[in-house]
Amino acid sequence: MDRGSTFGRRDWLKGSLALGGLASLPGCAASMGGGPASASAATGGTSRIVPMRISANELIDVKCCIRPFRALGCRLDTETIGDTFVIHNYGHGGSGWSLSWGSAEIAVGKAMSVLPKEIAVVGCGIVGLTAAIQAQRAGLKVTIYAREMMPRTRSFRANGSWTPSSRIALTAPAGPGFAALWEQMARTSWKTFRTYLGMPERPVDFSVSYGLSDTPPRSREEHEVDPAAPSFATTGMPQQKTEFAEYDHLIKDIIPQSVDVAAQDNPFGTAYCRAGERMYFNFASYSHLLLSEFFQQGGKFENRDFHSPADIAALREKVVINCPGYAARDLWRDKSIIPVRGQTGWLVPQPETHYGLYYKNVSLLSKSDGVMIMHTSAELGDMEGVGNSMELPDRDSIVEGLAKVAPLFARMKGARA
Amino acid sequence: MTRPRNMMLRALPFVALPALVLAMTTAATGQQPGASTARGVYTDAQAAEGAELYKAACAMCHGENLMGTYDIPTLTGRFLRNWSNGSVGALFTYVSDAMPQMAPGSLSPEDNARIVAYLLKANGMPSGAQPLPADSAALNRISFEPVRAR
Repeated sequence: MDRGSTFGRRDWLKGSLALGGLASLPGCAASMGGGPASASAATGGTSRIVPMRISANELIDVKCCIRPFRALGCRLDTETIGDTFVIHNYGHGGSGWSLSWGSAEIAVGKAMSVLPKEIAVVGCGIVGLTAAIQAQRAGLKVTIYAREMMPRTRSFRANGSWTPSSRIALTAPAGPGFAALWEQMARTSWKTFRTYLGMPERPVDFSVSYGLSDTPPRSREEHEVDPAAPSFATTGMPQQKTEFAEYDHLIKDIIPQSVDVAAQDNPFGTAYCRAGERMYFNFASYSHLLLSEFFQQGGKFENRDFHSPADIAALREKVVINCPGYAARDLWRDKSIIPVRGQTGWLVPQPETHYGLYYKNVSLLSKSDGVMIMHTSAELGDMEGVGNSMELPDRDSIVEGLAKVAPLFARMKGARA
Repeated sequence: MTRPRNMMLRALPFVALPALVLAMTTAATGQQPGASTARGVYTDAQAAEGAELYKAACAMCHGENLMGTYDIPTLTGRFLRNWSNGSVGALFTYVSDAMPQMAPGSLSPEDNARIVAYLLKANGMPSGAQPLPADSAALNRISFEPVRAR
């Protein structure tokens, strides 16, 4: 199918979900027909939209990272190594931030089953740090052992948006059991992130995300795996974008759905516009809050580089929550981890803007530490970056993305002049 | 059995066990006792070959000077802390399985040994008369021991 300039729900999702993208508007296909009144409420009208400054000269960072994808979904099983009880908590694909609290709840619950007083957490990305805090909240003494502290982990190279089913599993291998587990994790996480709303420095926030197109968006997407074509079942690697699980519909009762925006309320002048409120995380303030809570509760951090599972069994703590992320591939020789590359560019912060958008496979999101930009493929969807463990950033691709969205804002300025 | 052995067993956990294990390992493998990076376990020629391989396979991420970046680990300094006090085999196994990150496992064991030799040299370990073996069992018996710690 020629995707050309058309796009559907899945393209919006996939185009922007690369690292857990922002401008994906969950359920927007289902929301076709949302009334102008609700659209107006969502967008707040045109008068409050400040154009973003889109300039390669203000591109201050390009970050690349590898999502730890597993076809079966994240790993939460346990094993005993020597006299050490290990609870695995890794392989969250592009959903680590979003599922961090729900996943921590499950992992800590398993740790509690052996009645420890103190535990170790291996890894200090978003999954490890959150698990450590969850364990403290359950009354445990916690030491984190990790090579890097949060700001230098791969988690910080994500885009930090609520994208709980971004590259989290393949539908068929994961099965309905994982779907139910995912829903539990997503709801727990959502509830926990709610407790951070309205705080100073906005560690967790909402903003409007616009989905823009010059041509009619498709109202339906194909979602069938082609049984005759190569697939994960026949090759051991994802081969079709339709193999990737979509679970967002399971929680749409609590997630704002996007709505059509009437032409008079569309600040961008595109023929088609949808908008919806999206949750996202501000890296600096949120991670500072987490680290502060961890240390205030007596948490210890020890800089360690693990080379084999035996190193973990040698830890003083005999209950260990294992959160190595992509490093599980090397540390645990876990080849079920499939690398999925993604990258983001960051413009100088523009606090006067408070929204995101998706247009021509480019996502933008104004965050406290910069305006995040992703530029993804029109055709690949969730297959983009699959199997690619090259972690060097490609700045040129980001600059090309900037050129695609710049005209949107030039038009806005022209209209106001 | 005999009284002397019983006495020895009693003392083992406190004094002699590590030495005994080392002695037994040495006897079984034929390695020199206490094979250590501090006593020259690679040759200069091998490290020079490793340097060339490094330029081609590693430098694009870790940098020409092994300094890494904010996101990519440095291969000196903290590297020494992270890997020393284990075995050279652990490092060799990691490099063999996980590197280069964009094509893990794509280098031959001999080339990985050359790169490890280069890393040892870059971290101040002395060279010696024998090249570093390209066999993880043998490398597991060589301790990665910082010179400065001695």
